[in-house]
Amino acid sequence: MSDDDNGRGEFVPEITAFTCIYCGYMAADTAGALRLKYPPNVKLIRLPCTGKVDVRYILEAFEQGADAVYVVACPLGNCHHVYGNERATARVEYAKQLLDEIGLGRERLEIVYTSGGMGATFAEINRRMTDRVRELGPSPLKGACKT
Amino acid sequence: MAEDRREGGDVVGAVMVVGGGIAGIQASLDLAEAGYRVYLVETKSAIGGHMAQLDKTFPTNDCAMCIVSPKLVDTGRHRNIDLLVDSEVVAVRGQAGNFTVRVRTRPRYIDTAKCTGCGDCANVCPVIIPSHFNEGLMMQRAAHKLYPQAVPNAYAIEKRGISPCRNACPAGQRAQGYIALIREGRYEDALRVIKEDNPFPGICGRICNHRCEDACNRGKLDDPINIHALKRFVTDKVYSQERVPPQPAERKYSQRVAVIGSGPCGLTAAQDLCKLGYAVTVFEALPVAGGMLRVGVPEYRLPSWIVDREVQDIVDLGVDLRLNTRIDNLDEVFEQGFDAVLIAVGAHEGRVLPIEGVDLLGVMVNTRFLRDVRLGNPPDIEGRRVLVLGGGNVAVDVARTAVRLGAAEVHMACLESREKMPAHEWEVRACEEEGIQLHPSRSFVRIVDNGEGRVGGVECVKVTFMEFSPDGRLTLETAPGSEHIIPCDVVIFSIGQRAGLGFIPESAGVGITRQQTIAVNPNTFAASRPGVFAAGDATTGTAFVIEAVASGHAAAQSIHRYLRGEELEPKLKPELPVVELTRAEIQERIDRGEVHVKPRVPMPALPVEERVSSFAEVETGYTDELAQEEAARCLACGVCSECLSCWYTCQADAIDHDMVERVQDIQVGAIILAPGYEAFHAEQAAEYGWGRFPNVVTALQFERLLSASGPTLGHVERLSDHQRPKKIAFLQCVGSRDQTHDYCSAVCCMFATKEAIMAIEHERDTQVTIFMMDMRASSKGYEEYYRRAREKYGIRYVRSRISAVLEDPQTHNLVLRYVGDGRGIVEEEFDLVVLSVGMEMSGGVRELGRRLGIELDQHGFCRTLPFQPLQSSRPGIFAVGPFREPKDIPESVVEGSGAAAAAGELLAAARHTMTRSLEYPPERDVSGEEPRTAVFICHCGSNIAGYLDVADVTEYARTLPCVVHAERNLYTCSQDTITHIAEVLKETGANRLVVASCTPLTHEPLFRSCLQAAGLNPNLFEMANIRNQCSWVHSHDWEGATRKARELVRMAVARANRLEPLYSGEVPVEKAALVIGGGVAGMNAALSLARQGFPVHLVEREGELGGNLRHLRYLAHGVTAGGVQFSDPQAYLRELIAQVEAEPLITVHLNTEVIGKAGFVGNFSTTLKNSAGTFEVRHGATILAVGGTEYKGSEYGYGRDPRILTQLEFENLLGICETSLSQPAVLPSTVVMILCAGTPAERFCSRICCTTALKNILKLKELNPQAQVTVLYRDVRAFGFRERLYQEARRQGVLFVRYDFERKPQVEVGGEGLRVAVWEESLGQELTLNPDLVVLSMPMVPARGTEGLATLLKVGVDLDGWLMEAHVKLRPVDLASEGMFVAGAAHYPKFLDESIIQAQAAAGRAALILSQDSMITSTQVAVVNQEQCVGCLTCVRACPYDVPRIREELTGVGGIVGAAYIEPLLCHGCGTCVAECPAKAITLMHYTDAQIVAKVDALFRPEEVCGV
Repeated sequence: MSDDDNGRGEFVPEITAFTCIYCGYMAADTAGALRLKYPPNVKLIRLPCTGKVDVRYILEAFEQGADAVYVVACPLGNCHHVYGNERATARVEYAKQLLDEIGLGRERLEIVYTSGGMGATFAEINRRMTDRVRELGPSPLKGACKT
Repeated sequence: MAEDRREGGDVVGAVMVVGGGIAGIQASLDLAEAGYRVYLVETKSAIGGHMAQLDKTFPTNDCAMCIVSPKLVDTGRHRNIDLLVDSEVVAVRGQAGNFTVRVRTRPRYIDTAKCTGCGDCANVCPVIIPSHFNEGLMMQRAAHKLYPQAVPNAYAIEKRGISPCRNACPAGQRAQGYIALIREGRYEDALRVIKEDNPFPGICGRICNHRCEDACNRGKLDDPINIHALKRFVTDKVYSQERVPPQPAERKYSQRVAVIGSGPCGLTAAQDLCKLGYAVTVFEALPVAGGMLRVGVPEYRLPSWIVDREVQDIVDLGVDLRLNTRIDNLDEVFEQGFDAVLIAVGAHEGRVLPIEGVDLLGVMVNTRFLRDVRLGNPPDIEGRRVLVLGGGNVAVDVARTAVRLGAAEVHMACLESREKMPAHEWEVRACEEEGIQLHPSRSFVRIVDNGEGRVGGVECVKVTFMEFSPDGRLTLETAPGSEHIIPCDVVIFSIGQRAGLGFIPESAGVGITRQQTIAVNPNTFAASRPGVFAAGDATTGTAFVIEAVASGHAAAQSIHRYLRGEELEPKLKPELPVVELTRAEIQERIDRGEVHVKPRVPMPALPVEERVSSFAEVETGYTDELAQEEAARCLACGVCSECLSCWYTCQADAIDHDMVERVQDIQVGAIILAPGYEAFHAEQAAEYGWGRFPNVVTALQFERLLSASGPTLGHVERLSDHQRPKKIAFLQCVGSRDQTHDYCSAVCCMFATKEAIMAIEHERDTQVTIFMMDMRASSKGYEEYYRRAREKYGIRYVRSRISAVLEDPQTHNLVLRYVGDGRGIVEEEFDLVVLSVGMEMSGGVRELGRRLGIELDQHGFCRTLPFQPLQSSRPGIFAVGPFREPKDIPESVVEGSGAAAAAGELLAAARHTMTRSLEYPPERDVSGEEPRTAVFICHCGSNIAGYLDVADVTEYARTLPCVVHAERNLYTCSQDTITHIAEVLKETGANRLVVASCTPLTHEPLFRSCLQAAGLNPNLFEMANIRNQCSWVHSHDWEGATRKARELVRMAVARANRLEPLYSGEVPVEKAALVIGGGVAGMNAALSLARQGFPVHLVEREGELGGNLRHLRYLAHGVTAGGVQFSDPQAYLRELIAQVEAEPLITVHLNTEVIGKAGFVGNFSTTLKNSAGTFEVRHGATILAVGGTEYKGSEYGYGRDPRILTQLEFENLLGICETSLSQPAVLPSTVVMILCAGTPAERFCSRICCTTALKNILKLKELNPQAQVTVLYRDVRAFGFRERLYQEARRQGVLFVRYDFERKPQVEVGGEGLRVAVWEESLGQELTLNPDLVVLSMPMVPARGTEGLATLLKVGVDLDGWLMEAHVKLRPVDLASEGMFVAGAAHYPKFLDESIIQAQAAAGRAALILSQDSMITSTQVAVVNQEQCVGCLTCVRACPYDVPRIREELTGVGGIVGAAYIEPLLCHGCGTCVAECPAKAITLMHYTDAQIVAKVDALFRPEEVCGV
């Protein structure tokens, strides 16, 4: 269980990210190799392709208490499985609608595209998402769905 | 690993691939997969070549690293590939099939087998050098990894040689090393470096004669580095801290060593021997240790406390120091039971001259005088006149000491002239500054009695000449009558010292020389009596401290060898060269901005008036800032300085600074040369200012600036001010198509276009102008890319060759002048200029060619045979990539595969004779077992453990459900840990493995092998990346990183607990191939396969073999002084057809068409039809070589007049004319050629037409030199060596007129003749021509029926109808459908040599399938649960590979007819269908929903970790 603040009483959002094993995961690796700093509030879940991102996984993460979820895919047109990232894009859009409908808000979900070398972008995405969710505040679902 | 040895006949089943770029990698992987052993030789420390440097690749803008990195990993881990990095081929003996290659491997000083790539060595390395990988835009350490994803994943140390400072030092002090560490403020480490070679740094920093400074390369530029001052600084710095006593040395041997004398020599030896593990006793006659350092050097030069401290450091190691213990007889020592004795008594007996008056009161001797002062009994000389006799450094010490004791006057007299005084010049100067009067050139006659038995003066005589012979004899001439007396009260002799050897009786058996020194062997320091050694001043006479230290080290080593019973003579060590920088080399570094002229930082010193009144040190020493400033001046000549920081840091024990060059002979059957290119050295084109103007960069530098992992993290900036450039200019053809390069580098046009697009993608408002001669966008998709560059990105292309770049010195902006669109000279300013540097062959490649005895052209490119385009002039040695001719990545990859096939043809008999296979114990069935998970957590040296609490994470892992074992390792990937993991798995009965370390992208296969070694299914593995995703990115947050690492481990365990063993299926392979198309490509592919031992069905729909080549009359091979070299392709074609027909393994099916296809990779069944009916062939692989055809449209009046021909028709006409020269009148005398004629040419460039036109023009000019030819063109795309044909055509007076599609030429057919009108842009008017003939370069288009065939075979075609490869860059001959390949013009228009190469490549790729006995399915595949399937077709539509099928014979949910089936051999395992399936009827093995959701749940709910 992740703590909700960083010791200064500031809200630290818990973020779950789904990546493919290609560009997305490699961008995270590159961020590390370049020693780029970002807050430790994001946890990655590796999938063979973002085409495998199921709406169910996204919802599961929110249900369990994620404050935000994002998908890191290969750049459009460069998917290693031709168009898995386009499929993922469509599903993320669908899930965003669901989030709007249940009042959680689409802003908590995002899909981003990086190439494997874009370590700096990867680090930046997490910082940006953290800032965004910090403004939104903790997910109202947090703790509510524990069974 | 086991060697599969089978009989290979006379040929060796191994291939050497030289060059680890993408071409070499492709060849290696293909060969290794096809059953050959591969030795991949690379000169750099890692493979990857230029492609690894690229940011993106055109035309798809794929990230280069993303696509090449998996290939690198595969190559590095392939069991049949031996990587020989840092290596080069020295010589080759033997012949095709059996070569012996001599390979030389340079030392990299890091053992790649032990290095885990953790990078701790680079973190501590103090030496900064430019990063070649980043094209000098970034600095790196001497210990470095070429780039983050480098394979092998190991560091290397760049070491050029010994720096001259170290070389000049008798003790080999690594001055460069401690200077670098001082620059970094690492003073403790710096002192450690000094102490490696010298236990007396504080002493030597003060009194050494620092020969290092005389040798310093910096002296060639301004001043040598102030090395002694830095050394002193760092000791003062460290010594101002409280002393931490060293750990006592471990005693390893029972033997005891006695050292007589505690001077620098004796103590150095004592220290070394003690550290080696001996008991050492030092005997010292005086009450203090330190020898001359303590009692001979005045306090003002060397404070006692420093000597005492440094002596104490040695004593604390465990050396038994016995003061006030005089050895009176050597034999006593042996009687005390010592096994060896080192005599290091120094030279403490001062000498006096045998002259009258030496017994008078007031006559003293230097050593005694100085010793008394140091021991606190100074003679009373206050107010007296002192005369020192002697002119050496000791005499100076004596004189200056006398000044400080309050002498009224101090004089020095010596034999030598002022200029030749043996004392150092700066010492003599210091004397003069302190008021000491010098009397040089004096000989001493007698000491004058003052009448009271005391000294009254010294009678001297003037010396006119003096000389010491080499054996020490003096020749002296004096001036008669020059006798005079120097009055004084005290005389101190300082004319030399010698050893006091009274304790060695003659009976001791130790020889003494005439000069009163101990006779020793200079190499071993052994005296004539066994067990007795002597060193230091006692053997050499007086010398400097550093020599005493050096001899102490050497003597200790010798004694060690003696006590170990080894040969006494030291072994000769391979020596590194001494790095002498030339002035030119230093200048180059200045030009590159790496070095700035800057004189030495002066050492602050006491003013003279303060000096003479006290014994305080004269030089006050550097401050931190001054020291670092001075240290930063060091040129780091040797690169690595052997400071050993890496050695102390590396916990994997991988550093070995004693590594030496290794030479080995390797037997192979064939050699593939893929050495790659070298970018043109931009400084050679001085007019463009590269190196002078900071904002002029090369295209490769710009690539690094664009790269997200480059020096600026992908923010393009100017080097002058780090501002973003808004206006960028590219200058094309720098080092191509010029006076010294008669070729085109082929890739730069697209390269620049790509970089321009990427720059605009980064910052939308960037304006880019590309200055070029022609746009050579001549491959698949390139023309479209070029169009997008102009239309979507607004990139401006200007047809102008820029002659010079000027710089505004204020803004560092760059000014270009060029001819604008007919509006005269334009001057334009840019923020940044990029030079599109061309390809060259390096000196190393030329040397390689020479060593291998293969023919190269004048530029160093490899000459290959006309119809075996990969075959060099020496059989069995193949050339690929830019080494043959400049080319881009896909062509290089094709050639890599082609060469692999060519080598395979040669070595087919030895296939699988030298490969290795992995043997694992049988797998244990774990089904039904509860999950038992073992967790291994890696420190990665300090990479993980330095930033989070690994121990805590390990403890935490132990508490997780189902975890039966958790431990942490220094390096989990080290060889011993890998073995250990398998043992732990067996011992604990674990059935799941979790490793928390680095990235699965590189390390997953390695850890999976642990499971296999333990008899477990490799799929029972999960990894937590606590390095790249945790310690490295949260290094600022220990708590947060530790917490996250716990979570990542918890998630990994949760998934591991739910993993299941998976098994792959095997399908036997039908070992035959089907080749469709009987042209050059098809026939070559068939022949290659047959030669590799596989039966082939060759299908041709026409009645004869030959395809398009049947219509060609000429091939142009090149241009020589004798003119253009033509050949007749028909001879080649006849030979080729004969070979095909004679080949028993090839079955030719003429007049046959493909009408049906079934099956999948390894097991195809294809239905063919001919006049006899339909029949089926079974095969494992398919090659499509269906070719292309010349477009024949009605453009430009084609078809309306016989004088309007296509290029092919014109070639035929030329052929007819040449063979029937009796009718030369048929030859036209005026010809207009229109290139890019026909609408398809407006969509894509068909690559071959420009060259074909040039070929035909040159043939026409050969047959009819008077012929006038005008070419109407858009770009002349004569890329590579074809440029020579273009230049030749221009030379022969062919007129080239450019046109645009917006304003096409007009052709009119009138009664009089043909009339062609074309707008000439530069003249601004229309030209009218009346040629005899108009020749149209009609494009090549896909052959009739290609699209239908593609549909039938389920392979894709692009918008223009060409067959679509699986990946533009890296799988250029594979079709997206597994087991199907493309060759020749069916892929895209091709030249003959390209078709042949691609045919070989396709054959090679097909052979990978056919050489296997069965196809193994992947375990990570989608599986349909038919009972849930509604047959809705969602998966069929979602699959990117068109794999799912609804099969009628299957029953779906509720018994409906038809359910989905996914063939495991074809499934790519992406899981797209799984996510889309509305019924959730599909499961992706290894990524089941349960396994993924488990990770999400475990993240938030720790209780969810257990899998049961």
